[in-house]
Amino acid sequence: MSLVAEAFVSQIAAAEPWPENATLYQQLKGEQILLSDNAASLAVQAFLQMCNLPIKVVCRANAEYMSPSGKVPFIHVGNQVVSELGPIVQFVKAKGHSLSDGLDEVQKAEMKAYMELVNNMLLTAELYLQWCDEATVGEITHARYGSPYPWPLNHILAYQKQWEIKRKMKAIGWGKKTLDQVLEDVDQCCQALSQRLGTQPYFFNKQPTELDALVFGHLYTILTTQLTNDELSEKVLFLSEDGKW
Amino acid sequence: MGHGGGVTSPTSLIGACVCSEKGDGEKQLQSPPMERPLETLGVWKRLTGTGESKAVVSEVGVKKPGKRKGTPGTGAEDRGTGQEPTTRLWNPTYARFTGAPLKVHKISNPWRSPSGTLPALRTSHGEVISVPHKIITHLRKEKYNADYDLSARQGADTLAFMSLLEEKLLPVLVHTFWIDTKNYVEVTRKWYAEAMPFPLNFFLPGRMQRQYMERLQLLSGEHRPEDEEELEKELYREARECLTLLSQRLGTQKFFFGDAPASLDAFVFSYLALLLQAKLPNGKLQAHLRGLHNLCAYCTHILSLYFPWDGAEVPPPRHTPAGPETEEEPYGRRNQILSVLAGLAAMVGYALLSGIVSIQRATPARAPSTRALGMAEEDEEE
Repeated sequence: MSLVAEAFVSQIAAAEPWPENATLYQQLKGEQILLSDNAASLAVQAFLQMCNLPIKVVCRANAEYMSPSGKVPFIHVGNQVVSELGPIVQFVKAKGHSLSDGLDEVQKAEMKAYMELVNNMLLTAELYLQWCDEATVGEITHARYGSPYPWPLNHILAYQKQWEIKRKMKAIGWGKKTLDQVLEDVDQCCQALSQRLGTQPYFFNKQPTELDALVFGHLYTILTTQLTNDELSEKVLFLSEDGKW
Repeated sequence: MGHGGGVTSPTSLIGACVCSEKGDGEKQLQSPPMERPLETLGVWKRLTGTGESKAVVSEVGVKKPGKRKGTPGTGAEDRGTGQEPTTRLWNPTYARFTGAPLKVHKISNPWRSPSGTLPALRTSHGEVISVPHKIITHLRKEKYNADYDLSARQGADTLAFMSLLEEKLLPVLVHTFWIDTKNYVEVTRKWYAEAMPFPLNFFLPGRMQRQYMERLQLLSGEHRPEDEEELEKELYREARECLTLLSQRLGTQKFFFGDAPASLDAFVFSYLALLLQAKLPNGKLQAHLRGLHNLCAYCTHILSLYFPWDGAEVPPPRHTPAGPETEEEPYGRRNQILSVLAGLAAMVGYALLSGIVSIQRATPARAPSTRALGMAEEDEEE
């Protein structure tokens, strides 16, 4: 959004309090949603819960296409639609709720950095596993992604999405990586998170922040999703500190 | 490089070779030292270049990409392996920090490197590594580890900040150098074109630009930008925020983790130095960076400590061209004169051969003027 439009939107956002009928849209939980989208959705839900803002979760097969940026989840609040955790955090902040106000500058910098780390490593690894690992793709992803649609649309959409993700992986240099390398990266990322967390209950102070929401979303999903390859969840399990969640 | 010692005109942050005497600890980059492309392309440069471009070339500390391409840090994009501009600086900086003995060879033709891409590191065992991360890992394995003293948490922070930089700053750098039309045409393309050997310089920069453009679109393509302007604004805003965050994190410390540089410092330095030194016509991000004084001081400090022979400062671009430029001058002037002479000779030769002008001996003084008139008429007819 341009700066003017953004300022305008924040003003409107600030003007109204959080309504009771705010809804979050994601794909169908049982049959369609994939690992990465589930993680993102859970992160947003966790964040909103931490802010004590009521939200209703609605599952739609075409949530991805409804979203303004093409990504799920997105929330529908009043007459505005905001997608993805970053913009949602800003939107919520404009409404006057923020989890990271108590942090000083250095901590804010660290928080942003760690969020990028999670996005960069964990999310990309999830996408890789879902779309570039042949075993997973064949058994789980294709079937799930196209499940609400009739034949042949389900195949076409699945292949299209796979092609798109593969291109993106190539662009960021993950195209040539093997599964082992990806898992190594995940390992590194988890180690980093674990070390940062130490023995505290949350990443910063005693209050949860959006970083906690994001990490929770990803880790919980990884731990509770059945995939052909369980190595991902095994890696995450090693972080005993996270047992608190 | 060791050409002419000291601050040479093709200044690069990786100045002279860091040669090592050790036998087994030596790691060498294969590839012969680069011929000064300025000489070979001298004529073209004179005809196409302006004083402006010369200033760019001679700027102290400017990682002129053409020159950089051969160093272990340079990443000419080649064969689809995307080497970001900043990895060019990252590896050698890291090597400097750890004191790893590296012999640096600069080449301008990526195909001459041992693995076909740049950067490339050839170890004493004959292994060739060309992925920047792997090079760093290799150095670590050989016990040149800059992160030795870091606590686990600092190591985690390193990873996080590296991700932040890659995610926020890198797209903007790519955009600034390759997509922004003014910058690309005036600076980047010229750099590459000047440094590459003859046939490559016509199409390789264009190809690299297309690759970068596609990459940028893929990465941000999900946003479905209505127009490029908004995307650009968004990118720059995030980059500014990122720079501010870095500045906040650095605070008043000398390095990110206390008093000794770590790999994060090398990483950050490679980004910042590139941004600071390049003289870009469209430099909004640079202006923002210059406003963050602790980051500028940080760059200067590292430059002075680890790249002393390339000039110890991040001076404003105006001052530097003066010095190195004078060294350039003899060659420049010579090439200029030569090219003018060549042009004159060609013209005169053509005129003589085609009969427009004919030399007649022992003619009265008035004849030359009539002849000149005759020449003019013939020219008009033609």
